[in-house]
Amino acid sequence: MPQVKIIAKNFMDMVAALPAMKLDKLYENTFICEAVLRSLPPLAKKYVLQMLYLVGPITAKSMEEWVLADGLSKHRGAIDRLLQLRVFLEATDRKKETSYKLNPKFQDSLQKYLVYGGAVPTEPMPSIITGRLPTLDSLEAYALEQWECFLLQLISSGQPERPSSIGSSMLKVFQRGLLSSRESEAPKLTESGFQFLLMDTNAQLWYIIREYISTSQDRGVDPADLISFLLEFSFHSLGEAYNLNTLSEVQRNAIKDLADLGLVKLQQGRKESWFIPTKLATNLSVSLSDTSSRKQGFVVVETNFRMYAYSTSKLHCEILRLFSRIEYQLPNLIVGAITKESLYNAFENGITAEQIISFLQQNAHPRVAEKTPSVPENVTDQIRLWETDRNRVEMIPSHLYEDFPSKDVFEAASDFAREIGGLLWEDSKKMRLIVRGESHQDMRDFLRRQK
Amino acid sequence: MASTASKLYSDDVSLVVVLLDTNPFFWAIAKNSNNNNPNLSFSNFLNHVLPFLNSILLLNQINQVVVIATGVNSCGYIYDSSSSPPASAAKSEDGNMPGIFSRVIQKLEEFVIKDQELSKDESVVGNPSSLLSGSLSLALCYIQRVFRSGPLHPHPRILCLQGSPDGPEQYVAVMNAIFSAQRSMVPIDSCVVGAQHSAFLQQASYITGGVYIKPQHLDGLFQYLTMVFATDLQSRSFLQLPRPVGVDFRASCFCHKKTIDMGFICSVCLSIFCKHHKKCSTCGSVFNQANPDSTLLPDRKRKTPDA
Repeated sequence: MPQVKIIAKNFMDMVAALPAMKLDKLYENTFICEAVLRSLPPLAKKYVLQMLYLVGPITAKSMEEWVLADGLSKHRGAIDRLLQLRVFLEATDRKKETSYKLNPKFQDSLQKYLVYGGAVPTEPMPSIITGRLPTLDSLEAYALEQWECFLLQLISSGQPERPSSIGSSMLKVFQRGLLSSRESEAPKLTESGFQFLLMDTNAQLWYIIREYISTSQDRGVDPADLISFLLEFSFHSLGEAYNLNTLSEVQRNAIKDLADLGLVKLQQGRKESWFIPTKLATNLSVSLSDTSSRKQGFVVVETNFRMYAYSTSKLHCEILRLFSRIEYQLPNLIVGAITKESLYNAFENGITAEQIISFLQQNAHPRVAEKTPSVPENVTDQIRLWETDRNRVEMIPSHLYEDFPSKDVFEAASDFAREIGGLLWEDSKKMRLIVRGESHQDMRDFLRRQK
Repeated sequence: MASTASKLYSDDVSLVVVLLDTNPFFWAIAKNSNNNNPNLSFSNFLNHVLPFLNSILLLNQINQVVVIATGVNSCGYIYDSSSSPPASAAKSEDGNMPGIFSRVIQKLEEFVIKDQELSKDESVVGNPSSLLSGSLSLALCYIQRVFRSGPLHPHPRILCLQGSPDGPEQYVAVMNAIFSAQRSMVPIDSCVVGAQHSAFLQQASYITGGVYIKPQHLDGLFQYLTMVFATDLQSRSFLQLPRPVGVDFRASCFCHKKTIDMGFICSVCLSIFCKHHKKCSTCGSVFNQANPDSTLLPDRKRKTPDA
C-alpha cells in the first residue's frame, strides 16, 4: 500500500537546493550564516568553529583523525551536510587527496560575527512613534488565535458552505498539497492534509513555509530572496516594532502573507505602519527537533478508551473529531471516545495509527504526561491492531503467465523469475506462474530468448 | 539521575559557566615574564576568551553562557547571557564593540576594583592564589538553580580558565565542590594558562569527566578553546579530545595546609594530617598512643605478601 506521508523537511534542505552562485551570495549576509550554522548537526558546527580561523585547506584524512572510531558515521554525515550547504568546499590536490576548506564568504561573515557580535538587521522603531506596544502575552495569544483560525479554515474547507478569508497566495500554497480542488467541486482536504493537522505546530509551520517558498516562482518571486528574508526575519527580536517602509516590495508582500498565519502582527500608526514579530516567527530558524516551544497538553486518555480534552478551542475539537467520537462538550471540556468506527474513519482519510498515537502523547495533559506511558498501553496497542486489521491484504501489481508450451520452458521461466526476485506464486501442475509487475519486461525478454 | 537526564534538551544545547581568573598578582607576573608565555597580558587573554564566549552563543539559539570572576578575596557573577537582553538589542554606545564584550569588560573592571579594596588592609605575603573554591561553588549554585528552574534545561558544564597556582589551604573546599559537581554530573573542564600544572584542576577534570589542558602556545589560546572546550557534551563521545597525561593526586594536609605525598589519615573521618596527632582535629577521635613509626612498619610487612 503506498504510504503518503508528509515529511516536514528542514528549511535548510531548501537552502541546500539553491544553485551555488545564489548560495554564495546568501552567505554574504551574516544572519544567513548564523541560521545555517545553527541548523547543522552538532559535529558539523564544531568543525566550522574549528576551521574558522584556518587559512589553508585540511585534508580529509587528518579530519578523520579528529573523531573516534565509533563516531565515523556521524563524521561522514557532518561532512556531507557541510558540503551540501557549500559551507565546506572540496578540493583535490595533485596527490589525489581530498581536502576541505571553509567557503571564504561564509568564513568571512562568521569571523565578523565573532568579533563584532550579532547586530540587528534593522533597528526597532522608537516607542515614541509606536506608542504602547502589545505585551508579550497578548502577542502570543494573538499568534495562537491567528494560527488556530487558519487551521480551522483548513478543516472547514472540507465543508463547502464556509467562505474562506485567507489571502489568495496562502490559499494557493494549500491547494498544492493539502487541499484537492477540482473546478466543479469544493476544495477537500487530502490525505496529507489530514496528516498535516496532527503534526505539531513547528512542523506545520515549516511545511507551510516550505510550500510557500517552492510556489514563490509562480508568483514571480525569486526563492533565494524569500529564503534570505525569512532567515533574517527570524532574528528580529520578539515584540519589537519594525518599520514596514524599510522593506522591499517583495518583502512587504511576504509580510502580509505571514500576518495571515500569525507570524507577525501588523499595526498602523498615524503616519507609518510597522510589524511586530510573534513567537512563531522567532522560532522559524530553530531546528525542528527543538521542543521548547511546545504548548501545554490537554488530553487525558483512559484505559476504557474514553478521552477527556480540557480545551475551549474549536480547533482542538475538530482535530479530535478526526479520529474519535465526540460525545459531549462542556464549556472547558470535550469528552469523546476512541471507537473502532471513528478510527476506521481516520484510516480512510489516510491518517496512520502512529500519527494518532504521537498526537495523543504529545498533547497529553501535564498530569498524565508525568506517567509513562502517557497514553495507556492497551489503547495504543488497540489502535495499532485496528490499523493492521485493514492491512491484512497486501496488493502487488503482477502478471499471470500460463499456457507454457512445455514443462522445461515453465521450469526455466520459474527459475529465472526466482533468480530476479520477482516470483510470487507458482503452480507446477497447471504450469501457471505469477510474477511481480516490475519484472514483467525481464520475463518477456527471457521467454522470447527461449523461443 | 535518570530524572535529570530525561529533562534535558535532546539536542546539543549547552550551558557553559566560565570561571575567569582575575588574580592581579598572577597577571602582573605573566605580563612581565618573557621566557615561556610571551605577552599573554590580561587584555590579550580577554581577546581570546570573549570571541570564544560569542562563538558558544552562536552555536545554538538557546545556548547560555555565564561568566564568574575568580578574584583573590572574592568571586562574583560577571555576565549571564540569559538575563541580559539579547546581544543584538543592546549595542554599546561606541557602536564598535558588541554588547556582550563591553558589558563583560565593564563588570570585570568593577569587580577587580572591589576585589582590590578588600585586600587593602591585609598585608600580602608572597603570591596569593585565587579563590577557586569560591567560584566553583558559585557556579554549582547557579547550575543547581537551573536544574530546579523548570522541566527543560540545557546540559551544564563548567570551564575553569585558571592562571594562578593552587592554594593548598582551599583543598577541602575545592574537593567538596568537585565531588558535588560529580554527583550532579557536571563536567569541569579546565584550561591552565599559568606556568605550572594545577593539581586541583587535574583532579577536578579527572573526577568529573571533563577535559584538562595546559596549552603550549598561549598566543593560539582561542584555537585551543574552540577546538576543545566549545565541544558540546553529546559530541564529546565521538571526538578525539586531549587525554590526561597524568593526574597529580596529592592531597593537602588539614593541619598545615601543605601538599603532601604521604601522611596520616584519621580512621574515622578520613581527615589528612602531615604528622601524628593525639586527637583528630576534625572529628575528635582519640588516636592510639603508640609510636606511629613502630606500628606503621609491621603493618606494611603484613600487607605486602597479601598484595
